[in-house]
Amino acid sequence: MDEILKISGLTVHYHSDGQVVHAINDLSLSLRKGEVLGLVGETGAGKTTLALSSLNMIQAPQGRVVAGTIEFEGRDVRALSRSDIQKIRGKDIAMIFQDPMTALNPLISVGEQIAETVRRHEKCTQNKAWARADEMLEMVGIPADRADEYPHQFSGGMKQRVVIAIALACNPKLLLADEPTTALDVTIQAQVLDMMSSLIRKSDTSVLFITHDLGIVAENCNKVATMYAGEIVEFGTVEQVFGAPRHPYTIGLFNSLPDFDVVSSRLKPIPGLMPDPTCLPEGCYFSPRCPDATDLCRSAHPVDLIEDGHLVKCHHPGSAKEVVA
Amino acid sequence: MSERPILEVTGLKKYFDVPQGRLHAVDDVTFSIREGETLGMVGESGCGKSTTGRLLVRLHEATGGTVLFDGQDVTRADKHQTHALRARMQMIFQDPYSSINPRHTVATIIGEPLEIFGRVHGAEELEDRVRTLMETVGLADRLYDAYPHELDGGRRQRIGLARALALEPSFIVCDEPVSALDVSIQAQILNLLQDLQEQFGLTYLFITHDLSVVKHISDEIAIMYLGQIVEKGPTRELFQRPLHPYGQALLSAIPIPKVGARRERIILRSEVSSPVNPKPGCRFAPRCIHAREECLGEVPLREVSPGRFVACRRAEEL
Repeated sequence: MDEILKISGLTVHYHSDGQVVHAINDLSLSLRKGEVLGLVGETGAGKTTLALSSLNMIQAPQGRVVAGTIEFEGRDVRALSRSDIQKIRGKDIAMIFQDPMTALNPLISVGEQIAETVRRHEKCTQNKAWARADEMLEMVGIPADRADEYPHQFSGGMKQRVVIAIALACNPKLLLADEPTTALDVTIQAQVLDMMSSLIRKSDTSVLFITHDLGIVAENCNKVATMYAGEIVEFGTVEQVFGAPRHPYTIGLFNSLPDFDVVSSRLKPIPGLMPDPTCLPEGCYFSPRCPDATDLCRSAHPVDLIEDGHLVKCHHPGSAKEVVA
Repeated sequence: MSERPILEVTGLKKYFDVPQGRLHAVDDVTFSIREGETLGMVGESGCGKSTTGRLLVRLHEATGGTVLFDGQDVTRADKHQTHALRARMQMIFQDPYSSINPRHTVATIIGEPLEIFGRVHGAEELEDRVRTLMETVGLADRLYDAYPHELDGGRRQRIGLARALALEPSFIVCDEPVSALDVSIQAQILNLLQDLQEQFGLTYLFITHDLSVVKHISDEIAIMYLGQIVEKGPTRELFQRPLHPYGQALLSAIPIPKVGARRERIILRSEVSSPVNPKPGCRFAPRCIHAREECLGEVPLREVSPGRFVACRRAEEL
């Protein structure tokens, strides 16, 4: 198989104040080589936890992977020794964090922060590492003569470019991009996305693109997964999911957005709130907010229905389809 | 809708003295809002949109210019007049976490303005009014004695809204009221804001960086860049045909959540220049692909067709 990342039956819990937070619940997902998978969902859906799991970075003792496997190129990342996983982190799998203000070390120059990653993984000389740092800065659109400057001397958009340069410095096979442009202004976001997608295309990197912005997914991804309460509730190509969403939650997300082309006076929000992850509802987790929920939904947990590669976790995806029309 | 502007802002300026010189946060801004309408103010971080909002309700002292609210100049009002004006002009803030006191209960927070302005007599009337306000903004009655930390962002924003509505104002500055919220909750709050506007005939200045949101909620839109309004007009016309090169780039940068909807995107070079000691002339010129020598001169906001204002010398030819 050409799967680069394969997650099966992943369950992650956080323990806090004697309660168990069910962050990821029996989740399976796979990402093929060269794919850009958009992972969408609202705050608390478990998107970041999923990305951190892929790097085996769930922090004990609060966080615990309770079940499941995460395979990167056929190797179970959880079974790797500490030194083996460290060889993968930053080299084969890189991560871009949401907040460029906190992702960089304020006391180290940006050039050194890129060179550090290169030195660590490529076993090369200081000069070579620095040459690579200069090259990466130019690639993300920052003049190399600014390599000696410190993070505070850069604007938010420039800092995020540096974070991206660090992530891509060792030509990763898999990039985990966690809301990489959320903290940026829209014209700067356009610059950064434009640059990112051309770099990704050139290097043939696979990407897990976490975002809450459906517009970014439509324009930058080829696959999309919707997450709700620690589960993937819908998965498919961007054409499938955006063309005819089948899960009521995905449909609700689309309806909540002001439509850019049509003038309408009212939005159609999803009623209610995300369930408390320490006490998930019986049956389908979305049933308390779902306009189409039946007794079945409130008692039995739905299984994955797959048609043409379009997955939906819902008892009544047919009825959902009618809602769209 | 009435044609009468309830708010008229003329030549409004706010400068801050910083070690590097003088920061022109708001620089000669002029606009008006008709009663019962919404003016959407958009622009990127640091363009002066929040400072403008704060100047209107006098949370900042203006460096120059006037803000006429119902004929009265807010910037020159004395202490008593300002106090009275505050009852009629309210503000809701971006961050529903830091804008309400974590040590007070929901009831105390919403009831505080009523007590300060002596609008209620006795504990019973206060409780009645608070419960009515909670119902108006969709807060469950059981949350009366709850503390903010027990509530999510959407509910906290409802508290901020109830507090703003307590004194029955006619004008509310909404400073990024939904930016911190998830989309499904954002839609709930936007609908609520529209319902309240209809119910109480409210006038809004809606400040946001989210162009889809501003398009949805505004009658008119003003685009700000580095302390100045560069373009203004009725929402639909402005979105159909932005006239200012910055407006064009900004609108083209919005990702549309539809497959194949991607339009020709104008990628701007470099970043916003510094608002400290700005040079005369068009402030967008250093990033503008159409900039010419003439753009270094004065570029006033001018009316190019009825209701359509633009601050660009070359707007007609582009």
